Amino acid sequence: MRYPGEGLVRVAARLVPLPRRRDWRREWEAEATWGWQRLHAEGPPGLGAQLRFRLRILSCVIDALWERKETMRMTGLMNDLRFALRSLGRNRAFAVVAVLTLALGIGANTAVFTLVDGVLLRPLPYPDSDRLVALRHQGRDGQDQLPISQGLYQFYREQASSLEEVAMYAGVSVNLVLDGEAQRLQGQAVTPSFFSVLGAEATLGRTFAESEGVPGGEEVVLLSYGFWRDSFGGDPSVLGRSLDLNGRLAQVVGVMPPEFGFPDQRAHFWLPLQVDPANAQLASFGAGGMGRFAPGSSVAGVQAELEGLLGRLPEFFPENGAVDFLEDVGLAPIVLPMKEQIVGNVRTTLWVLLGTVGLVLLIACANVANLLLVRAEGRQRELALREALGAGRSQILRWFMSESLVLTTLGGALGVGVAAFAVRSALGYVPTDIPRMAEVGVDVRVLSFTMVIALGCALFFGLFPLLRHGREDLAAELRDGAAHGATGGKSRLRLRNGLVVAQMALALVLLIGSGLMFRSFDALRSVDPGFDQEGIMIARVTVPGTEIDGWEGTDAFFRQLGERLRAVPGVEAVGYAQGTPLVSGASAYFSIESEDHPRGPDDLPVFARNNAVSPGFAEALGLRILEGRPFQDGDDALGARAIMVNRTFAEMWWPGESPIGRRLRLGYEGEDWYNIVAVVEDAHYESLESAPVEMVYWPMVQGPAESPSIARAVDVVVRTGGDPAQLVPVLRREVQALNPRIPVSNPTTMAQAFRQATARTSFTMALLGVASGTALLLGLVGIYGVISYVVSQRTREIGVRIALGASGSAVRGMVVRQGLTLASLGVAIGVAAALGLSSFMASLLYGVSATDPVTYVVLALALVGTATLASWVPAHRAARVDPSRALRAD
Amino acid sequence: MGKLFSMTYPTALVLAAIRNGHRYGFDLMDATGLPDGTVYPILRRLERRGVLSGAWEDESKARAEHRPPRRYYRLTPLGESALEEVLERFPAVVRLLDTGTA
Repeated sequence: MRYPGEGLVRVAARLVPLPRRRDWRREWEAEATWGWQRLHAEGPPGLGAQLRFRLRILSCVIDALWERKETMRMTGLMNDLRFALRSLGRNRAFAVVAVLTLALGIGANTAVFTLVDGVLLRPLPYPDSDRLVALRHQGRDGQDQLPISQGLYQFYREQASSLEEVAMYAGVSVNLVLDGEAQRLQGQAVTPSFFSVLGAEATLGRTFAESEGVPGGEEVVLLSYGFWRDSFGGDPSVLGRSLDLNGRLAQVVGVMPPEFGFPDQRAHFWLPLQVDPANAQLASFGAGGMGRFAPGSSVAGVQAELEGLLGRLPEFFPENGAVDFLEDVGLAPIVLPMKEQIVGNVRTTLWVLLGTVGLVLLIACANVANLLLVRAEGRQRELALREALGAGRSQILRWFMSESLVLTTLGGALGVGVAAFAVRSALGYVPTDIPRMAEVGVDVRVLSFTMVIALGCALFFGLFPLLRHGREDLAAELRDGAAHGATGGKSRLRLRNGLVVAQMALALVLLIGSGLMFRSFDALRSVDPGFDQEGIMIARVTVPGTEIDGWEGTDAFFRQLGERLRAVPGVEAVGYAQGTPLVSGASAYFSIESEDHPRGPDDLPVFARNNAVSPGFAEALGLRILEGRPFQDGDDALGARAIMVNRTFAEMWWPGESPIGRRLRLGYEGEDWYNIVAVVEDAHYESLESAPVEMVYWPMVQGPAESPSIARAVDVVVRTGGDPAQLVPVLRREVQALNPRIPVSNPTTMAQAFRQATARTSFTMALLGVASGTALLLGLVGIYGVISYVVSQRTREIGVRIALGASGSAVRGMVVRQGLTLASLGVAIGVAAALGLSSFMASLLYGVSATDPVTYVVLALALVGTATLASWVPAHRAARVDPSRALRAD
Repeated sequence: MGKLFSMTYPTALVLAAIRNGHRYGFDLMDATGLPDGTVYPILRRLERRGVLSGAWEDESKARAEHRPPRRYYRLTPLGESALEEVLERFPAVVRLLDTGTA
């Protein structure tokens, strides 16, 4: 049966693009035929029904137009892309340079963003992690940085309503004897609340119960997933098993999930940190504190409440001597978002790095934009022609855009490859002290970042040539040859000059940054650490009380070990110390009494860091004795009761006098006096950057003569004429021979410790160095390109000049001057920008000011110098222009 | 999901109507009561986005009913999940259609 409007469907079908036309018409005819049939199924339809049917058929025109529009849009885009690919293919050298430049810029940004995202931006991997805070303290207006004490932990837990829960944690290491073999394991002692603060559950078994966090509680242990998998083969029957930790049996109650760890995943196990509620010390700061604030509270709220609570300490703890002490030092809480605490000072380093690669990308974009401008200029005539033939501005915009899209897509894809490779290989070189590295990886977030910057680049230089093109006078363009056009070229040249000036400025900013880092690195390397770097091996040996009871046996063990080591060929000196500079660091501050500085009622106590060392330590480390004599046998608590102080301590308390023979004792009741026998050089314990602190060296065997105690966990420091690393197996063998159940851990050399101490600076320096090198290269290519272009534009004019008698050197000078002007302008802007950014750099620097004039001047001159060289090449070419040829050319 | 195509009220109606068993162009115009000119562009768009798939019916079946074979539309798995969004955002749509076709 036929239907009304059949002709209309046939005509409308012509609107539908060919590939879709047949199906389209078939569908409409089927619908219309059936619809018309159905309309007649119950007799002839009324007039209204017929009219509705015709209107419905009329709507096929809308459908046909929609099909047409949609198909055109798709094929239009395809056409643009094909056009772009073809025109880039014709210009392969240009395309390769542009894509590689972009890949480098985008890749570097993706790589650094991967770090920044993983370390700084991503929330910590705990539920509601924005409610986690670190609880620290400070005394003496920030001179003392203190963690938390058991007493304060308990106090806050009971009194602070803004804190939902408070926890303490401390690093511990234990000797685990498993199947008869001893190993040293790192773990943490934590209050049972640790897991609820972090919102963590055991994956197998349970976490600690409150009753296990008080003295006399069950001896229990939680295992990390990795340790459970590696040492117990992931066997669930480990639950309930007893492990020999430090000679005591602890029952395994649970295994934590694989991703769990705080602040990182280094802990192998967790033990309950036991706090005695009746006897928690207020002033012994020994563990890290953290808390989870209640919903509705804030970091500032917690800070305010804790400040108030500390002010009321005397109320809560009347007649507690520790409260007076805490008031003396002006104890104040420091509440920090946990992320800030963990990420710490890495923040600045990473932002500077991101800024650095951001600048490199800008320079890369400027370069590609410059290349595109050159191309666009070469195509002015072609484009003008197309415009004259009816291509609208939007069509031309689409050509440019699709070309830059193709470039950045290729560059971006290559860049992600560069980044993935860079991140994987960089993870091995990144300083080990950067936190959260385990969480870093290229993922969807990173890829979207890359896409955004790639699109940003595409927009940036896709629009660039068009802005220029749009303003050109069409007629003038068609009339003049683009390559020789002296009029239209002028404003385009100004644009390219601007790009080059910007490149120069950015390159100088990066050069100055890396110059400052280099000077910091140099300053760090020339810091006198107070001891030697070469030929020193250090390793930790811990003698558990369950292995050797009493101080005499332990003392005998260390003496025997010392004798055995000294007998090894090549060994020059052997000593022990509780803390070794740059390796295990220094203790916290202790209060000390000085016999000739009795403490008045309003005086602060004398503070110093303590280290317990044996005879031979100073010799083994090369710690210089400035005055007096080093420790010798018989200097300990039972003998001469000798101590050594460092230069800073001596100058603080006896400026201009000799402290030898004066007496000190620990600031507790019933301590005995010790005699100062030596002043030693300041040693940098924590880092090379930090200023040396007051330090007192005590003998290993300390305390009252009738009941002395001995340091049981010490570093063995061995000096050798040979390779110190070779001594590690020797030390293990000798310890094993004396007692196989005593482990040796953390072996290293002082040279290694030095490398680590300078790792952050050298890492930043290396990255900035590479970045500024790239920037310089790109900048020079830019200036070379512009000057060459200028020369080619002015060939005719130069020919005229030479014909009229200008000498080669005058022409050279004229061209070089132009390059010099651009470079100087760039340098001026760059210096201003670098000065503006100097405050960001300041915290990364050591021993050099962020506005160091020498660095600025030297690098600015160097940049101007190399830019001059870069423009000298085209200048030389200009000077050799053959006037007869140049004039004949047009 | 919501980014894939704009979930407007007419789109929602068309999806819900297909779920209710209205599977070809004119039938969908009747079922949804939308202006005639809007239904086909919606079908075309949804088909391009993979929310719907259209297929020609078996020729013999159409011949038995004395008419040309018709193009039927049905929801793809993607369409099924789009429907969930429909139910969430336009609960009234379903009720309207249910009563309309009852």
